[in-house]
Amino acid sequence: MSMFSELGRRIRQNIQTYTIILALVGIWLFFAVLTEGRYVNPQNISNLFRQMTVTSFLAIGMVLVIVTGNIDLSVGKAAGFVSVVVAYLQAYVWHAIFPGQALLAATLSILIGLAVGLVWGVLEGYVIAYLNIPAFIVTLGGLFIMRGGILIVTQGRTIPANQPYLKEIAQGYLPDLAGWVLAIIVVAILVFNMFRSRQKRRDYGFELSPFSIDLFGTLFFSALVIAYVYIVNQYNGVQAPVLLMAIAALIIAYMSNNTKFGRYAYAIGGNRDAARLSGINIRQNIFQIFLLMGLLCGVAGIVLASYVGYGTIAAGEGYELDAIAAAILGGTSPLGGVGTVFGALIGALIMTSLTTGLQILNVQPAWQYLLKGMVLVLAVYADVYFKKKS
Amino acid sequence: MDKNIILDFKNVTKRFPGVTALKEASIQIRRGEIHGICGENGAGKSTLMKILSGVYPYGTYEGEIFYNGEKLKLANRSIRQARDEGIAIVYQELTLVPDMTVGENVFLGKEPTEFGIINWNKLYSDTQRILEKYQLDVQPQAIIKNLGVGKMQMVEIAKALSENAQILILDEPTSALTDAEVDKLMEILETLKQHGVTCIYITHKLDEFFRITDNITVLRDGQVVTTKPTSDVTLEGLVKYMVGRELKERFPKGNRKPGEVIFEVEGLHAEDPDSAGKEVLRGINLDLRKGEILGIAGLMGSGRTELVMTLFGEYGKVTAGKVRLENEEINISSASNAISQGLSLVPEDRKGQGLVLGQSVLKNLSLPNLRFFSNMFQIDDNAELRASTEQAQNLAIKAPNLLIPCDSLSGGNQQKVVIAKWLMSNPKILFMDDPTRGVDVGAKFEIYKLMNELAERGVSIIMISSDLEEVLGMSDRVMVMHQGHSTQTLEASEATQEKVMALATGLA
Repeated sequence: MSMFSELGRRIRQNIQTYTIILALVGIWLFFAVLTEGRYVNPQNISNLFRQMTVTSFLAIGMVLVIVTGNIDLSVGKAAGFVSVVVAYLQAYVWHAIFPGQALLAATLSILIGLAVGLVWGVLEGYVIAYLNIPAFIVTLGGLFIMRGGILIVTQGRTIPANQPYLKEIAQGYLPDLAGWVLAIIVVAILVFNMFRSRQKRRDYGFELSPFSIDLFGTLFFSALVIAYVYIVNQYNGVQAPVLLMAIAALIIAYMSNNTKFGRYAYAIGGNRDAARLSGINIRQNIFQIFLLMGLLCGVAGIVLASYVGYGTIAAGEGYELDAIAAAILGGTSPLGGVGTVFGALIGALIMTSLTTGLQILNVQPAWQYLLKGMVLVLAVYADVYFKKKS
Repeated sequence: MDKNIILDFKNVTKRFPGVTALKEASIQIRRGEIHGICGENGAGKSTLMKILSGVYPYGTYEGEIFYNGEKLKLANRSIRQARDEGIAIVYQELTLVPDMTVGENVFLGKEPTEFGIINWNKLYSDTQRILEKYQLDVQPQAIIKNLGVGKMQMVEIAKALSENAQILILDEPTSALTDAEVDKLMEILETLKQHGVTCIYITHKLDEFFRITDNITVLRDGQVVTTKPTSDVTLEGLVKYMVGRELKERFPKGNRKPGEVIFEVEGLHAEDPDSAGKEVLRGINLDLRKGEILGIAGLMGSGRTELVMTLFGEYGKVTAGKVRLENEEINISSASNAISQGLSLVPEDRKGQGLVLGQSVLKNLSLPNLRFFSNMFQIDDNAELRASTEQAQNLAIKAPNLLIPCDSLSGGNQQKVVIAKWLMSNPKILFMDDPTRGVDVGAKFEIYKLMNELAERGVSIIMISSDLEEVLGMSDRVMVMHQGHSTQTLEASEATQEKVMALATGLA
């Protein structure tokens, strides 16, 4: 088997993933040309990735929710609620209890933010999975409830959330050297993993794919990581929220592929009856999915507070739609059973790339929405069309 | 051109990758007759129907079909076009919208309108006219879900028949009907015949051919074996044409010696999960020995599937009775519970319940067995692949590799995947609900051999089948069900088709 035929086979197998990556590259080139290169300068690239983070936390959870055949409409406002709770604690509470202890305050805010998200996930998950109420209805109700919650916490005011430490979560950057160390560690892990997985396959007596293919893949991803660190170091360095997002995405992606929890989610979405008759506890799995989604809402809310620097009544408005759009753009089937975390990240990146590009071009917000909507529908149509062809 | 021939198939061949579903089939249907088509599963009947309804449009098959002397050219998936041409089809599964009225269903998709607004008076009076013309005893305003299955069938027929219907195709119309309803259907068909409607009648119930048809065509392995006037064939002759060989060859007899009783059911009663209080199982007694194949026979609706689903913990509430596994009473509340006790189920509906069709063979095989390859945190995908590969080889699953999705496999191979996934969990007891449904003859034989091997290895099997010959050919003993009761368990040596049918119909 030649390297290229194997490569071709793999590309055909994952045609959807590659199509969407191509679309992303196309969008970048398009804006790069229109903005005479301003779009791809280090500062803009750095901001672009930073901007996608809040949506991304929601999108990677949304993938699993949609994969099980459910939906969560409350994530935007739930993240918004967490963000105003965090802002409230930062601005009014810790200050009074532990004056001057900024690190302790930020830590407590984070823990409470995560806890609020988790409790929200438990509540929604319980009602959906164990009381058998459709997720669409429960989370639609959840959206209203969270909207009310935000108003209660803020009392209509804007609450500052730009205190030290908390601020660093979304606005911090790693020093250049730390960025490079990180890059080297990632590359080392990639290489180590390649050899370890080959060794394991050999131990099991499986046929190994050509070394050149594995090496090519490893080198390709290593090059991407190095290039990324190089570019962002030209500006301020590796962005803290992007690092967080990468870690979260890796964990969720790993869970979706390599744990029973993840496998069951895909089986439930693919064929609920077959999953049930295979002995899968469907309620428990769906409950866990919403619990995870809630936790991710917590993370997104904390990053949101830090990113905006305020808790406002508009916090998280419409983010659920961005998250759903990102997941769908990334190849998640609205019917369930199909979808990847990686795809959702690319989907989120596409949405953010469009927004940023249109902003640089000074396109009116009205037209930005129109274009984003059309891109979403067009992308899914293209996908359906090409699938039919092949 | 013979004016009396309404439909003339000339050397129709339909190929699928790896299978030829129809081989140069030539059939002539005479105007105004009732023409029976019979054959085993996979003989090509449904392929023939799909060609007539445009599911396989003109150009995707070889050969030609002449309809009233003209070449029939149907566009893709054009049941509507077929209907406009006067070819109406009633499928085995009912296709009515339960919450709509009879009239709405009859005119679904062809509602009479004026300036885009539905003319309800016309719709209902037209419905009334069709119903009266063919003497169908239903009210146009009745809501479908309030009707019995027999009446639904009538609505289905009314829906299929437009005013100019020339051919009506009935695919297994009686599979869900009671005897009285079957009688009524036969009357309706006679009425239709008097109105000059030609009828193509497909069924598994051979006796119905003799009640109603004028001519019979027998299909086997995609080929037309014979077309004869019904008066010239006997039941035995028909079976011989269908099978093409003696019964013995169809079922490999294993060399097994059932041991101790391992599984017992005593006085089991269970309710319909959808309507509490309605008992579906009304007293089931059975015992199963180690390494035995116990067949369960019974008519559609006798509670066969409900029984295995109940035993697997996935049906309605058990209201009375005991289940014992290895002399210990067990209480099975869910599939996961059943699996952990060593029970497994190959469900009736392979695609709907057995497989996650869009997922790979590998993932389907490992789905109920992930606990063997994983700890709290992760799945060892190498171990998963090795075990699945071994199992797939043992069962000779024909797939280029285990990563292709199940929906690209043939029916027989899909069924092997379902069986294989359960074998990986080393079950003590395997329930098989219609394991060879929709599977071609060759794959059937392999599944039979597999069942024998399993029984020889000490797995106890409970098999349900709608194919009575299969039950008789494969089982050590046969338990016959009638209206939710277990009637009698016959030894293979004393079980004959007549005896089983007598028990199943409540005559004995």
